[in-house]
Amino acid sequence: MIRFEKVTKRYPGPGRPALDQVTLDIDKGEFVYLVGTSGSGKSTALRLVLRELRPTTGRVHVAGKEINRMAGWKVPRLRREIGTVFQDFRLLPNKTVTENVAFAQQVIGKSRRDIAKVVPETLELVGLKDKGDRMPDELSGGEQQRVAIARAFVNRPMILIADEPTGNLDPQTSVGIMNLLGDINATGTTVVMATHDHGIVDQFTKRVIELDHGKVVRDEASGSYGFQH
Amino acid sequence: MQLRYVFTELRTGLRRNLSMHLAVILTLFVSLSLAGIGILVQREATVARDSLGDELKILVNLCTDDDPSHSPNCASGEVTADQRQRIEKEIEDSDEVASSTFQSKEEGYQRAYDQAKRSNTQAAFEGPDPVVTVERWPAAYWVTLKTPEHADGIISALEGLDGVSVIKDQRKALGQIFGIMTVLKYGSWIGAGFLLFAALLQVTNTIRLAALARRREIAIMRLVGASTLYIALPFLLEALVAAIVGVALAAGVLAAFQHWGVEKALADHVEFLPWVDWGDYTQALFGLFPPGIVLLGPALTLIPTLLLTRKYVKV
Repeated sequence: MIRFEKVTKRYPGPGRPALDQVTLDIDKGEFVYLVGTSGSGKSTALRLVLRELRPTTGRVHVAGKEINRMAGWKVPRLRREIGTVFQDFRLLPNKTVTENVAFAQQVIGKSRRDIAKVVPETLELVGLKDKGDRMPDELSGGEQQRVAIARAFVNRPMILIADEPTGNLDPQTSVGIMNLLGDINATGTTVVMATHDHGIVDQFTKRVIELDHGKVVRDEASGSYGFQH
Repeated sequence: MQLRYVFTELRTGLRRNLSMHLAVILTLFVSLSLAGIGILVQREATVARDSLGDELKILVNLCTDDDPSHSPNCASGEVTADQRQRIEKEIEDSDEVASSTFQSKEEGYQRAYDQAKRSNTQAAFEGPDPVVTVERWPAAYWVTLKTPEHADGIISALEGLDGVSVIKDQRKALGQIFGIMTVLKYGSWIGAGFLLFAALLQVTNTIRLAALARRREIAIMRLVGASTLYIALPFLLEALVAAIVGVALAAGVLAAFQHWGVEKALADHVEFLPWVDWGDYTQALFGLFPPGIVLLGPALTLIPTLLLTRKYVKV
């Protein structure tokens, strides 16, 4: 589903590359933690998958396509196969929960009928069936992250990328979010989660890829967080 | 493509940036009005040249039967073939002349009739017993000079020739009129140029602000796979709305200028000049070269919007 072949990403200016000859393979339906210190290259790797960046050398394959040479006009179609969740939720404050989720469908041209069917289903899946009319600021952090996950999942992407999804949440709420990500993974969606949350990684054991100074230093099928910060 | 979001965003965008949009519209309106007036003045110069000749031309009217000038040159009545040959030779031999064309009675009459019709003063040409007829209209030579300053030699040579009725030398008067028109034309184009540049900067600022106000939406749209066109569409439509309003206001001002300025004032007071009509007004609006305001307005807002949105909403 995601393959990096000797990927190096160098940003302008001096210094070491953000990613250095990284090769990795993530299969369809896997749940993978991407761990490592700040600056280890986690975010760069995620942005390469989204084709927000192009590698300096090497190849990135996503959903069977080599995306580093993909024409710009094809990128939106690629992104429809990828859902993204962030630490800071990134909800639209002037839209209700339902409108926030529906927005992801409206802007890619889904019909009103489709939206009316899929959005309530997705809200039910994330446990917010009765909160569709609320505004984001009326919700708790955990609920806001659930809305963000609903928005990322509403188009039923093949891949869900989560960048520190529990970073702003208390441990109990984080467990709820992890269960939800687990449910989404169970539908066959590949989940790649960058995290610093060792409690979560150790509790919900999955494959762990550890990056350090832009290199893969550990890739365990059923790993733990591995280092303390 | 579902356009509901686009139109909602368009409404929101227009409301949110109302003062900026008003500034763009007003600047566009004034600059397009000036550009339109510049085009009308240029058309006026063409119309005037077509009918009166320019400052390089003199008109040599030949004698008719019962010539109204009562010139001694016309004592023998209608100009004869021999007389015409002499006149022609004199023109051809002159160092001051660049070229000349002969205008028959019929051509001259038709030209005068067309002009009269243009200014709605064709009564003398019509009716059962018209004052102006083909027979009474003189044949003529249009003589084009090499330079407007040197014509004394040819004028004095022709003045004494049999068969020459009147020499119409409007170099000075026309030179002044065309001079004024040139100043007006370039003045309004330079003014329009500055203001159009100001409009361009305002469009740029408006888009920058709009992109800033929508940065969250844009970021989400990019992430969920909205196409660049879909993301840029509200910006383009906002620019188009501003352009349409600006063009409509300028078209109104130009129409008012044509109606009250040209037809009701200038045409009544300055009768010797033919004036631009509604056909020329249409040219100022829809012409291709120079581009009319209907092309200019949208181009000035849409092109920078396209370029800038590519920068701000790049996927």
